[in-house]
Amino acid sequence: MSPPRYLLAALLQSLVLTLGVALTAQSAMAAEDENGADKAPHQDMVLKGDAKCTRCHDETEAYPVLSIGKTRHGTVADSRTPTCTSCHGESSAHIDNPAGTKVRPMVDRLFGKKSTTPVASRNEACLTCHQGSKRIGWQSSTHANRDVACTSCHQVHVAHDKVRDKLTQFEVCFTCHKEQRAQINRPSHHPIKEGKVACSSCHNPHGDNPKQLVKSSVNETCFTCHMEKRGPFVHNHQPVTEDCTICHNPHGSTIANLLKARPPFLCQQCHNHTSHPSQASGLPAGRTTATTQLGSVGRGCLNCHTNIHGGNSTENRATAGRFRR
Amino acid sequence: MNRMKWVFRLTAVSAALLAAYGSAQAADEPVQAADEPVQAADEPVQAAKPAQAAEDDEITHLTEPESSVSLGVGTWTRDRPHEGIFDGMRDSGAYGLLDADVVKRNDATGTWYTLTGRNLGLDSRELMGEFLRQGDIGVSLEYSRIPRDNPFRINTGLQGIGTAGLTVSGAGANAFPFTDVTLGTTRDLTQLGFYKNLMPGLDFNMSFKNEEKKGTRQWGRGSAPEFAVEPIDSTTSQLETTLSYAGEQLQLSGGYYGSMYNPAHGSVSIFTNGVAPSATSPTFLSLPLDNQAHQLFLDGGYNFTSATRGTFKLAYTRATQNQHLPTADIPGLSLPGGPISLEGELDTTLVQLGLSARPIKNLSLVANVRYHDVQDETPVRRFVQTNPACGSGQCVDNTPFSYTTLTGKLEGTYRLPAGYSLTGGIEQRYQDRTVPLSNANGAGGADTQRVVPMRAKVEEITSRLELRHSLSETINGSLAFLHSERDGSEYVSAAAGPGGAPSDLINPIHIADRDRNKVRLALDWAPMENLSFQFGYEDARDKYAHDAARPYGLQDGSAQLYSVDGNYVVNDNWQITAWYSRDTTEAFQLGSRAANGGGTGGLTDKDSRLQDIGDSVGFGLRGSASAKLRLGADVQWTRTNSEYHQTLVTPGTTSGLTPLPDIKNTLTRVGLFGEYALRKNSDVRVDLVHERWQTDDWTWQFADGTPFTYGTTTDGTTVNANAKQNSTFVGVRYIYKFQ
Repeated sequence: MSPPRYLLAALLQSLVLTLGVALTAQSAMAAEDENGADKAPHQDMVLKGDAKCTRCHDETEAYPVLSIGKTRHGTVADSRTPTCTSCHGESSAHIDNPAGTKVRPMVDRLFGKKSTTPVASRNEACLTCHQGSKRIGWQSSTHANRDVACTSCHQVHVAHDKVRDKLTQFEVCFTCHKEQRAQINRPSHHPIKEGKVACSSCHNPHGDNPKQLVKSSVNETCFTCHMEKRGPFVHNHQPVTEDCTICHNPHGSTIANLLKARPPFLCQQCHNHTSHPSQASGLPAGRTTATTQLGSVGRGCLNCHTNIHGGNSTENRATAGRFRR
Repeated sequence: MNRMKWVFRLTAVSAALLAAYGSAQAADEPVQAADEPVQAADEPVQAAKPAQAAEDDEITHLTEPESSVSLGVGTWTRDRPHEGIFDGMRDSGAYGLLDADVVKRNDATGTWYTLTGRNLGLDSRELMGEFLRQGDIGVSLEYSRIPRDNPFRINTGLQGIGTAGLTVSGAGANAFPFTDVTLGTTRDLTQLGFYKNLMPGLDFNMSFKNEEKKGTRQWGRGSAPEFAVEPIDSTTSQLETTLSYAGEQLQLSGGYYGSMYNPAHGSVSIFTNGVAPSATSPTFLSLPLDNQAHQLFLDGGYNFTSATRGTFKLAYTRATQNQHLPTADIPGLSLPGGPISLEGELDTTLVQLGLSARPIKNLSLVANVRYHDVQDETPVRRFVQTNPACGSGQCVDNTPFSYTTLTGKLEGTYRLPAGYSLTGGIEQRYQDRTVPLSNANGAGGADTQRVVPMRAKVEEITSRLELRHSLSETINGSLAFLHSERDGSEYVSAAAGPGGAPSDLINPIHIADRDRNKVRLALDWAPMENLSFQFGYEDARDKYAHDAARPYGLQDGSAQLYSVDGNYVVNDNWQITAWYSRDTTEAFQLGSRAANGGGTGGLTDKDSRLQDIGDSVGFGLRGSASAKLRLGADVQWTRTNSEYHQTLVTPGTTSGLTPLPDIKNTLTRVGLFGEYALRKNSDVRVDLVHERWQTDDWTWQFADGTPFTYGTTTDGTTVNANAKQNSTFVGVRYIYKFQ
C-alpha cells in the first residue's frame, strides 16, 4: 500500500469511527426520555430482565453488578436463578423517578453498609430461596437477632465470596469477632490462619445451636475431628464428658494444647487434694522424679496423668483409675 | 448512576478495538481496503460487526467464570519450628508453589466443572474437583492434608517410636544412643459429595469423609514422669445423608449422620532397657478404642404468617464403644473375671422448639425451648479391686456420666424511632447431672472413688439488655449488658482423694456458684465517605461464691477487650487498614497446700493470681501503582505476656522450686507483594515475608534455663523449645488466567 492510499483508508476509517461514536452516543442520549429512562429496547446482559438495570449499572459501580454472571446466581440455565428485582424489588420509583428528583429514589431493597433498608427486609430477599437446610433456624439465631444481614458477610455479586473460602473466611468473621482475631495468633491455635480450618468448620453462622455450633453441643462438634476423645472410656474424666471448653479455648491460647490455664493451676480449679496435687507451682532446679515438683514443667500434671481425656486400661491397680494408664 | 459512562465505555471500547482490528485488517488486506474504500463508508453495519464481537467479548469477560493457574517457587531462609507447624513449610529451603482454580460453566445447561488445587507443591496440599449441573445433580471429590509438626527439638534414646512397643533408655550401661527425633501428624482427608434435586424444593445430599491420621504425639509414660510417644494412626469416617425440602411455608431437613473411629493400636507397652519384667514393668498404656455414633435427625420450620415462624429440631444419637479391651488379655494384669469390653453406650436426645414472631410492627420476639439429654447407658462394673474391703483408691468401677439440660430463652426487640432498637432477653438453663456414688465398697455408703465434689443439679439464669443504633450512614453501634447467676443443688461430698477430706473443700470451676456481669460496646463511625472506624470494648467479671465448707477453687475472674479498627480509602487506587486490640484476663484462685505436697506442717493455703495480656497490631495496604502493577503490604505484630503470681501462706517452703517467671511471646510478620500484569491474562507475583517469633516460655526448662530433662537415672530425654525463630520468605509465581 502506498502512503497516500494508506492515509486515505485510515482517514476514511477514522471518519467512520468518529461518526459511529458520535451517532451511538447521540442516539443513546436521544433515547433517554425526560426521566432518564430508555425508550429503545435494551438487551439483557446477564439475568433475565436485567436490561432495566444494566442499561445504567455495570461493572464500573463501586459494587459491580455484571460480575454476578460469574456466580451461581448468574447461572440462568437454572430456572431458580433470581433476577435483579427478585432481590432489589421492582423499584419503580428508582427506575422511573416519576417525581423527577435530582437524586433518584433508592431501589426498594438496598444492600450494603449504608443501606437504610431494614435488615429483616434485606434478609427476607435471601431467605425466599435460602431458608431451607442449615438455615432453617436462622430467625432464632444470634446473628439474626443482632441485626446481622446476609450481606454483612456475603458478597453476592462477585465470583469469589470471601466468607465461603476457608482461606479468607476468618477475615470476614473478624470484622466483628475481634477477640478471636487476636487469639488465632497465639502460639497454640487451630490452623485457621493457615487456611486448613475455617470458622465454619465448627460454627454454623446461620444456625441456632448454642454458640451457633455446627452440631448440637460443644463435644459433638469437637468429635467431628477429635473422635478419639468421644469414648466412653473405662475411666472417664468428668469434664471431658461434659464440655471440652471447660479446659480448652478452641480459638487460641498461649498454653500448649489450647488450654485455658496452665497446669497445675488448671487442674487445681477442680482438684484440691493433699499430697502432690496440692503442690505449689514452680520450676525445679534440675532433673527430678518428685511428683511434687513436676506439675508446672513439661506436660505438667500430664507428665504422669498422661491419658487425661480418659483411659481404657483394665490394669488391676489404683493407678489405672487416675488416667495414668 | 453510570448510564452515560456505560454507553460510552462499551462504544469506546468497541471503537478502539475496531480501530485496531480495522488497521490490522487493512494491513492484512491492502488490496481490498484500497479497492473498496467506499464500501467501508457505505456499509457501517459491516464495521459494526467487529464492534459487536468486541462488545460480546467484553460482556463475556465480565460475566463468565474465570480460571487461573499459578506456578512458582519460594524459599524460606531458616527453619520455622513454631510458625510452620501447619503450613508444610517448617524447614528452610525451596518449595514449589502451585495453585489452580479452574472454573468452567456450560451456560446452556448450567453445568459447572470445577477443579481447585491449593498448596499442591506443599505438604499441606488440597485438591477438589466438582461436577454440578446447577439445580439438578452434582458430584464432588476432595482431598486435603493437614500436617502438624511438633515444634520442639527432642533428643532421646527412646526406641520404637511410632509403634506400640517402646523401650526407654536405661541407666548406666543400659542407656541407648541419643538422637534428635521429629514428631508430628498428618491428616489425609478424602471427601465425596453427592447432590441431587429430586423435585422442586426437594434435595438429596450425601457427604462421605474418610480421614487417615498418621504419626506420633508427645506423651508420657504414666505414673513415672518419663518421655513416651503416642502412635496415633487411626481412621475416622463420617457419612451424612440429608433429604431437604424447602417450600414457601414449610422447610424440612432430615437424615442420618454416622461417624466411626478406628485406631490402629489398642495399647502401648513400655519397657525400660535393662529392667526385668515385673508387676510394674513393662507399663501398659491404653489408647482410645474404636467407637461409633449413629444419628437420626429432623429439622423443620414453618411460616405461619409472614411475621410468625415456628421451628423444631429432633435428633437421636447412639454412640457405642465395644472394642475388646486389649489389656484384658495380658496375663496377671487385670482383675480376674473382669470385663473384657466396656459395652459403652451413649444415647443423646435433642428436642428443640422455637418461635419467632413480629406481633406488632416494631416488636419482634424469639422464644426457644431446648431439651438435650446425654445418657451414658454403659453398665457399671468393677475393673480394679486390690482389696475386697474397697478402701480409698482400692477399688475402681467405670463411671458413666449423664446430663439432661433444659434451656428456655425469650428475647424481644423493640424498634424505636431514629434507628434505635432495644433488646431484652432472658435465658434459663436447668441441668440434671450424674453424681457417681461409687458402689466400689459393694454396698453404697461412703464414696471411695470420686475425688471431686459434684452437684446433681445446676441452674443458670442469664438476662441481657441491649441498645442498638443502626441504619445510619455515620454512626452505628450497640451497648449491651449481660448478667448471669449460676448455682445448683447441694454438693455431694468427695472424700476419696489423697488425704481424704481436703478433696471436698473445693467448688469445681464449671459447676461453682457464679455471678457474671458483662458489658459490650461496639461503635462504627464513618466521619467521612472514605474513612471509617470501628471501636469495641468488652468487660466481663465473674465472681465465684464460696462458703466455709468449700473455700477453695476459683474466686474471681475478669476479662477486658479493647479494639479499634480504621479503614481509609485514599483514592480509587489505594486503601489502608489498621487495627489494634488489647485483651486482658485475670483469674484469682485459692487452694490448699499440704505438707506432703511439698509444704511444711499441716494444711495451709496458697493463692494464685494469673494474668494474661495480649496486644495485637495489624496494618494493611492495598493499591495499584499503575494499571499493571498492584501492590500490597501486611504487618502483624502480636505480643502476649503471662504472669503467675503465687502467694504461699507459709512462705519459703517451695522445696527447691523457683517461682514461675513471666512468659512473653512475640510474633512479628511483615508481608509484601507485588503483582504485575504481563498481559491481560497473565501476571507475575512476588511475595516477600519476614517472620520473627520469640518466646521465653519456661515450660520445657528447669529453673536455670537449661532444657527440661526426663528422669534422673533412666530416660534422659531432653526437650528444647526453640525459643527464637527468624526467617524470610521470597516467592515468585506466574499466574495465568483464562475463561
